Parts: sequence; structure tokens; C-alpha cells
Amino acid sequence: MIEQIPVLLVVLPIVGGAIPLVASLVSDRAGWPVATLTLVGQTGLAGLLAWTVSTSGTVSYAVGGFAAPYGIELVVDGLSGAVALLVAVISLGVLAYARKAGPHSGPFYGLYLLLVAGLTGMTVTGDVFNLYVFLEITGLAAYGLVASGRDASAAVAALKYLIIGTVGASLYLLGVGYLLAATGTLNMADLATKIGEMAAYDSTLVLTAFGLMVGGLTVKVALFPLHTWQPDAYANAPDTVSAFISALVSTVSAYALARLLFSVFTVEFLTAVPVARWALVGLACVSIVAGSALAVSQDSVQRMLAYSSVSQFGLVVAGFAIATPLAVVGATVHLLGHAVMKGGLFAATGVIERKTGATTVNGYAGMGSRVPVSAFAFAVLSLAMVGVPPAVGFVGKWYIVLGAVNAENWAVVAVLLASTLLTLAYFARLVERLYFAEATIHSKPDEAPVTDGSGQAVSFGMIAVVVIAAALAVALTAAVPELQAMLEDTLPPLLNQ
Amino acid sequence: MFELLNSHYNYFAVMLLLGIGLYMLIESRNLVKKVIGMNIFQTGIFLFFITLAFRTGGNPPIIKEGGGPYVSPLPHVLILTAIVVGVSLTAVALALIIRIYTEYGTLDEDKLKQLYYD
Amino acid sequence: MTESLRPILAILVSTVAIPVILSLKRRPNVREGVTLTVAFAKFAIIASMVPGVLSGTQYEFVLGQFATGIELAFNVDPLGLLFGLLASLLWIVTSFYSIGYMRGLDEHAQTRYFASFAASLASAVGVAFASNLLTLFVCYELLTVSTYPLVTHDETDEARAAGRKYLAYTFGGGVAVLGGTVLVFVLAGTTAFTPDGIEALATADPTLARAAFALLAAGFGVKAALMPMHSWLPDAMVAPTPVSGLLHAVAVVKSGVFGIARVVLDVYGPVTMKELGVALPLAAIAAFTLLTASIIALRQDNLKRRLAYSTISQLSYIVLGLALLKENALTGGLLHIPAHAFMKLTLFFCAGAIHVETHTDDISDMAGIGKRMPLTMAAFAVAAAGMAGIPLVAGFVSKWYLVIGALNLESGGLVFAAALLVSGVLNIAYFWPIVYQAYFESPEGHDEKPLIEGPFGGRSELRADGGDSDETHAASDEGEVPEPEHVDHLGKHDEEHEHHGGPPAGGWDDRGWRGGESTWFMLGPILTAATLSLLLGTVPYTAVFLRIVDTIVSNLPGVMA
Repeated sequence: MIEQIPVLLVVLPIVGGAIPLVASLVSDRAGWPVATLTLVGQTGLAGLLAWTVSTSGTVSYAVGGFAAPYGIELVVDGLSGAVALLVAVISLGVLAYARKAGPHSGPFYGLYLLLVAGLTGMTVTGDVFNLYVFLEITGLAAYGLVASGRDASAAVAALKYLIIGTVGASLYLLGVGYLLAATGTLNMADLATKIGEMAAYDSTLVLTAFGLMVGGLTVKVALFPLHTWQPDAYANAPDTVSAFISALVSTVSAYALARLLFSVFTVEFLTAVPVARWALVGLACVSIVAGSALAVSQDSVQRMLAYSSVSQFGLVVAGFAIATPLAVVGATVHLLGHAVMKGGLFAATGVIERKTGATTVNGYAGMGSRVPVSAFAFAVLSLAMVGVPPAVGFVGKWYIVLGAVNAENWAVVAVLLASTLLTLAYFARLVERLYFAEATIHSKPDEAPVTDGSGQAVSFGMIAVVVIAAALAVALTAAVPELQAMLEDTLPPLLNQ
Repeated sequence: MFELLNSHYNYFAVMLLLGIGLYMLIESRNLVKKVIGMNIFQTGIFLFFITLAFRTGGNPPIIKEGGGPYVSPLPHVLILTAIVVGVSLTAVALALIIRIYTEYGTLDEDKLKQLYYD
Repeated sequence: MTESLRPILAILVSTVAIPVILSLKRRPNVREGVTLTVAFAKFAIIASMVPGVLSGTQYEFVLGQFATGIELAFNVDPLGLLFGLLASLLWIVTSFYSIGYMRGLDEHAQTRYFASFAASLASAVGVAFASNLLTLFVCYELLTVSTYPLVTHDETDEARAAGRKYLAYTFGGGVAVLGGTVLVFVLAGTTAFTPDGIEALATADPTLARAAFALLAAGFGVKAALMPMHSWLPDAMVAPTPVSGLLHAVAVVKSGVFGIARVVLDVYGPVTMKELGVALPLAAIAAFTLLTASIIALRQDNLKRRLAYSTISQLSYIVLGLALLKENALTGGLLHIPAHAFMKLTLFFCAGAIHVETHTDDISDMAGIGKRMPLTMAAFAVAAAGMAGIPLVAGFVSKWYLVIGALNLESGGLVFAAALLVSGVLNIAYFWPIVYQAYFESPEGHDEKPLIEGPFGGRSELRADGGDSDETHAASDEGEVPEPEHVDHLGKHDEEHEHHGGPPAGGWDDRGWRGGESTWFMLGPILTAATLSLLLGTVPYTAVFLRIVDTIVSNLPGVMA
């Protein structure tokens, strides 16, 4: 039973997603309950899987009974178990938000579950081509979800996302081709051994494959300068979708990048080809600085949060590229923590917009007293993102910095430390406006606040999601030792320690 | 040079397709042409995989007595999958374009930008 | 070490109070009741640990594992107790004063104010009791966050600008502390405070150890307002006066000084400090700061700004005492933590009382104010005398030890002793005129104040570059002091009030010496704080603080040797 869970995790949401799609011919009401049921099951399975992995080690499953390396293998270790659990929990959480916030259609929930399937698939797969397929499934579902807003600007954003995203995925596919040419295999573990045996780390084929695959994935992660699709997509999608994809899509892509680095190319590659590591670290550092700078100059809060993601994923990728055990633990903590924080922040912007009509930095002025609970949650999440201890944003940063110091990579240490101040620069501005400025938008009692049209009111569930995200942003710190224990068995073989 | 062209013309075709596709994707202002560019770009990749599978004197990978040597079947399978993905992407892209056209009445990217940021 | 709940209780008691205070928005009397109860409870819990700590017990509480090799843990040792006891004692005094001040001015957002105050105190006590650098850092950052709403309390442009500056400076410092903490952890494998320093640091790579020290000293130096990282402090005076009093003279700035003390005594230790040669630069910076800030204070006309520069100067006394690494200097420096706190709190409370009662903020408007507020100005005089180091007030005892410690130094001691003495003279120079004009002058006839009103370098006509008449005119314009205008806590331009500070048309009225000058909610705290500084100056051992300081110093074999 246990070894079937990885494949069940992918199949369950696909099957579940088909039901609302069919049911929508009759009624749109079926979507939410079906999705909830499916995701409750998904969360249970993912929890069971994570527990199994942390107690008895890696779980692997050969799809269709074809043994690896010929067939497709699904492998779940501590790292992917944690990410799979995150995907399940967050998608269940966002559903509570979606119930009121909409969009309320059967196809929406179909796409939603398809996205969950794609993300989980990316997480559990142990095959580079399979990863491409799930990458595209994720992409397709995400494009559709972004476009599900009633506003046509959402379609423009989705098309931009689609074109850039496809180029990224295609580059990745091209890289897979190079690897296949070099080694003749697609299984990750097998690839690592073959590349190692050939000791061909600096051969043109492997180097090109690395460049193409990593380059393709950084488009999906949205590192600077390949981030251009992200602000439009996040800002124009319905609030539910913004919260969902901002929390998970880039996160799982960054996980895939890490998987590629450690399970396919391995740390030896990074050591043998310092240029590759430097390129990645450099890209990450540029992303941290440029993302923050762009975030500061934004007027729309949602776009600001999108650029903030560019910067935060710089931090995560820097941690992975440094590739010492501590740095990887830090990057993983920040990856998971960021998902919770950013999802919560987007959910909060949705609530604030529905209640007050405020969408811009200036519009947020004085809203601290109008929407006290959401504003407070927003402030807590902001501070957590800045890295104020003891929130989880700090723990991740602590480990990454520790790893960078261990690697004696002083330039990176400096950028990482400065990133706190850069993040502060754009969040402090908002928190200051929320609480210490005169309101620029005044409530008109007889006029309903402006919304994106999919729903007017704010439900208890929506506020609960925001508050829980804020609470988690602090409470997750307590779970870090647990996560570290889970990674302890996984990382040393990956990092050859 | 000419020999290289003669023996590796597939790869030159791949490069050409990738180049044309990418150029259209970036340079064309028409959204539909962008999608066509995207398709050409992907086709370049498909061709690359199929070329990988080739071996001189290889037969189609249908196992029979004395049939070998075979060309590698794996890239073909992969590309079948990739084509399916590509088709669905194109479908989604065209659907979005129809939506954009009904709303804004244009497919020109520059005009769209003006409308979009107003 | 004794396992005990008391350290965490002392922190939690005011943390738990925050939601309670927030929920009592509509019932201000109950809300203030909660603040006072919690303040007393906090003090009681901390005071209950004094006898134990003096007899060598340490109370420890481990909250949990934060990361590999690092625990979130609290430990009450003598040094932590010194700071914790001080902060919690003065919170009681300040709470009473806050009630008088906030209600006297009918301030907005009082609930937020009292809640933030409780949060600040929880973090400050957390800083005091933290048992390793990381826990200290966690509380240090939380202190920044919880005091930010207090700095920005006024919600004016000026307050927001001050708040931004405050956040930028203190978070910048926080980043440096984080960097230093990481380095120490990597070098030594632990960040736990050990009396006389972490052993592994003594044998670590000296360059990295120096870099870590520089980062830590610079990071904590921001809140300790060492020059050139001091400029947030005068700007933060835009906050309500109780905030300037308790936080920007006691809790926040002292948390910076306290951090430096921890780094010097419990992370590096005197011996390692000497070997690394980092003590002398720190002492030099402190000496420079204490002189320069005193000179700048001379030219401040706004009373709270002058007090802020005085704070900057006095904090450097403490840092200097720590950096000299001599037994007496350490005693002096550490004793100056409570001594300065009592005196400066008195001074700020006086400034606040004057502001509430007469809306006067500028020293040039205060001639003859002794008639209007005799008790307040008497307390002011006592505390100002203490600042200058005049016997019988707290400042004398600590400065006595400091100067002796400086003179004990093998070389260069004279320079530091001279700096201390010159600064004492400057203290008199900037405090005496205030007291003198309050009692012995009247608004109609008072002396000129050339230091404030005149341009730097004498009369403006004598320009060295011999510029033409236009320029001369411009220069004299620059030299002019802008019209004193009424400014709330420094910032808010209060247009509605007819009265723009300074004496009323008919001169100050005579309120007598029986407390008619203000409410007892304000006078009580002022007199209490002044009495405390007298107590510490006359019977320092009975007032417990010197005994705690002695215990700290005697626990440091590296210093005694």
C-alpha cells in the first residue's frame, strides 16, 4: 500500500478533477465539495507518505511495473515528501478561501485539481522527461486558472505567461535531449551514476544540458531577468488563483531545480564546474537585489508582492546553489515558509480589496483600523517575510547564511544579509501606510466596494485562511527541527557528505 | 564545411527552426504569429529528438527475426508525448487569443499594451 | 543553574497582557489597570530572583531547540538581572507617568500605545535574560518591531520619517548582529554566553574573530547610539515623552549597550579582547562619541533633542567603561546603566511635564519657568547635577569608578580620564543654564544664549572669505534661529492652539511648591525617579544595583587578574 501512495497522489486529483468538469454540465455546485473531498484525501495520503518517509526512508514506485531505469520511477525522499505535503495542505487551505471568493464554476475546480496533480507529479517523479510532462501539465492548468478571471486583462496576462512559460519548458526539454544524447537514460538516479562514471562534467553535452535545463526552470521559478510573466499573472488572476499559484507554482519549480542539481547533476558537478555554480549563485544574487528594487518601485500591492517573490526565490536558489547541507536545509525551510507567507499575503490583499477597494500602496493608507484582522495578519506576514525572528522567514535565512559562511562565500553572505534590509524597504512602506497614515479611500456606506466581480462579500473562511497563514508563519519555526530530521536522512547521500 | 552540412543537415535544420521560432516569438507583434513561432520552436526540438534516435542502417523498432539493428524507439515515444503537450498548449493559447480579440478587438501586441494599461 | 519558570514568566506576563489591553479599547480605566498590574507583577517576578542571583544561583529556562546546536533559552545571571530589574522597575514608574501624560494631552490611539509598550517591555526583558547570542538577537529584533509603533505614534510626516529612519538604522544594526552571530557560531560552534568568553573564540582565526566582533559591536552600537550611528535617536524624540523616557533612554538604547556588554564580557571575554586588540578602537569610538555628543548638545534649543544628545554621550560612558576592561571601569560602566536610567528618566519626565502643562519645548522659552513648575524643575536640577557627576547623586558613583578605572590603565588612561572629566564639565555647561534661567530669570529679562543663537565661529559679519554684502546678508539669515513654534513632542505642528509655547502673556503664574503645577500622575513618577537617583548616589549598596554589579565583576576572573 505504502509504495503506491506516490502514484495515488497524482492519480487522485486527476480523477477528482474530472468529476466537477463532467458535473458542470448539470450544475456548478458540485465543484467545491468534490474538490474538498479529494484534497482532504490527498492531504491524508501526503501526510502518511511524509510520515513513512521520515520513519523508514525513501519510498519508490515503478509506474506500470517497468523497472527503473527503463520505466518511469516515482521517488519520494524527505525533500519531496515535505514538498508534496506542502502542496496538499496549501491547496486544501486555499479551497477554504475559494468557497466564497470564487470563481464558482465546475471547470475552475477541474483545473484547480489538475494543477494539484501537476505539482504533485513534479514533486514525486524520478524521471527527467516525466518531470517535463508534469511541468507542462502544471503550466497548462496555471494558464487556464490565471485566465479564469472575468476581466479580459487576465487573458492577456495568461497568454504572456503561456508563451514565456512554454519557452522555458521547451528549453528544459531541449536540455533533456542533450542529456539523453550524452547518457542514453532519463532516470534521475541512473543519470547521476552515468554522468559520474563518464566523469564528463565539463563535456560540452553535459554543460549545455545543464545550461538549458536550469535556464528553462529558472523561467518557471521566475528569477530575474526571466520573471517578466509573473507580475502580470499574479496581479490579474482572481485572488484565489493568485494566492494559490504564488504559493505553489514557483515553489515546486524551485524544488525541481534543486532536484536537478542534487539528483541529476550532483554536487560533484558543481564542484568540478565552478562556473556553473557561480552562474547560478550570481543569478540568484542579482535576482535578490533586482527583485527588491523593482518591488519598491511598484504602486500596486499585488505586483509588489510578485516582485518580492522574484527576490525571495533568489534567496532559495542561492541556498540550493551553495549546496552545503545547512544551506540546503535553509533553502528548503525558506521554500516552504515562503509558500505559506506569500500565499497568505495574496489572500490578505484579496480580503482587503473586497472590503475596502484598496489595491495600491497609497490606497492601503489608514486601512489598519478598517480591516483590523486582515491588516494585522498582513503586517505579521510582512514582518515574517522580512525575516524578523522568530518567524519562519528568519529561520530559513539563518541556515542559508550559516551555509554560505561555512562555504566562505563572503559576497553571498553580504547579499543575503542585505536582503533583509531590501525586503524591509518595500514591506515597511506598506505597514507604515496601513497603520500610520490618513486614509485616502473613504468608505461609502451605500456603495458596495469594488471587487473583481466574482464575489462581493468576505466570508469567515477567507479571513480564517489569512489568519492561519499568519499564525503558521510564526508557528512553523517550531516544526523546523522536525523538518531537519526528515532531511537528515535525505541530504547526506544527495550532497555526498 | 560543406561536408559537415552534408552529414549533419538535420542539426542545421534544428538550429534553423529554433532560430526562426524564437525570432517570431519575440519579434512578431501579432499574437497568432507568436503562437505559430512557438510551434515552430517546438518543432525544432522534436526534430532534434528524432535525429538523436537515428542510427545508420537502423530499422524501425519493430522486433522480428533478424530485424536489428534498430533505431532507438525511446525518443519517438517521448516526442509523441511532447506533441500532445504542444497541441494542448496551442489550443489553450488560441482560446486565450479569441478571448482577447473579442474583448479588445485587436491582435496587435503594441495596441493591446496601450489598451491594457489604460 | 536552576531550572525555573521565572525567567519565561517575567517575559510572558506582559506578552499575555497585549491582547487583553487591545481588547479593552473601550474601557481605558480597566486597560490602564491591566498595564499597572502587569508592570507590578513583572517587577515582583524579577525582584524575587534577586536574592538567589546574588548568592550565586542562576535561573534557567529552555524554550526549545531553535536549530542545530542552538537553543532558545533564557538564563538569569547577574548581568541580565541588572538590566531586567532596571527595565521592569522603571516600567512601573513610566506607566503611571504615561497615564498622566497621554490623558493630559488627550492623545489618540492610546490602546495601541499601551499595547506596544507592554510588547516592548516583554522584548526588553527577553534581551536581558537571553542566554545566547541568537536568543538575544531574536528579542533584540522584536524590540525594534514593538517600539516602531511608538516612534511613529504621532502619524505625522515627521513621525513617519523618524519611524522609517528608526527601522532602517535598527534593522541595519540587526543585520550586522546577525552576521556577527553567524560568524561566532561558525567559529566557536556555540553562541552561549560564558563568563569570561567562549573558549573556542580565543583560538579561532583572529581575522574572522575580529570581523565578527566588529559586526556585533557595530550592530549593537546602532541602538547604543555610538557615533556615527546615532542620528536616529534625536529624530526618534518625535515620540511621546514617556517613550523617549523609558525606551529611548532606558530599554532600547540600553539593550544596545547591554548587547555590547554581553559581547565583551560573555562572548569574547576580556582576555580574548586584549589579544585581538579590539578593545582600544571601541574605547576610542566611545570617547569620541561622549565628547562630540556633549558639544552638539550645547547647541540644541529643543529640550528633548538636547536630552537625546546627552543620552548619546552618557551611553558612551558605559561603552567606554566596558571597553577599558579594568575592574573599576567595568563597575563604573555597569553601574552607569541604572544610574543614567534614573537620571535621564527624571529629565525626560520633566520635559514631558513642561510640555503637557505649558506646551513649551524650547529651552529659550523656559526662562522663569521655575515659578510655574517648581517641583519639576527641582527634580530636573537634581538629575542634571547627577549627569554632571556631582556627589550625592547616582552619576557621581559610577563616574568615580570610571575615572579610577581609566587611570588604572597602563597607557593612555589619562586621555580617557580627561575625556570623562571634560564631558562632565560640558554636562554642566548644557544643563546649568536651563536650571539657572528657570529659577533666577524671568521671561522678560534673561541673558542671551550665544551658543544657541549665535552662528558657529562667532559673529556673522566677520566672514573669512570676505564675501560681498549679499552673501553677508545671506549668512546672517542662516545664523538666525527660526521662530520658535509650537511642536508636539518635537514634531506635530499644532495649529489649533492659540498659545504657541513659551510663557503666557502675563508671565508664568506662580503655582507654589505643593504640586499645583501638574497632576500627581506626572509629579509622582518624576519625584520617584529623582529619589531613586539620589538613593543610588547615597546608598548604592542598599539600593541593590551596586551589589549586582559587584557580583558581575567578581564573576570575571579575566578582569580581576
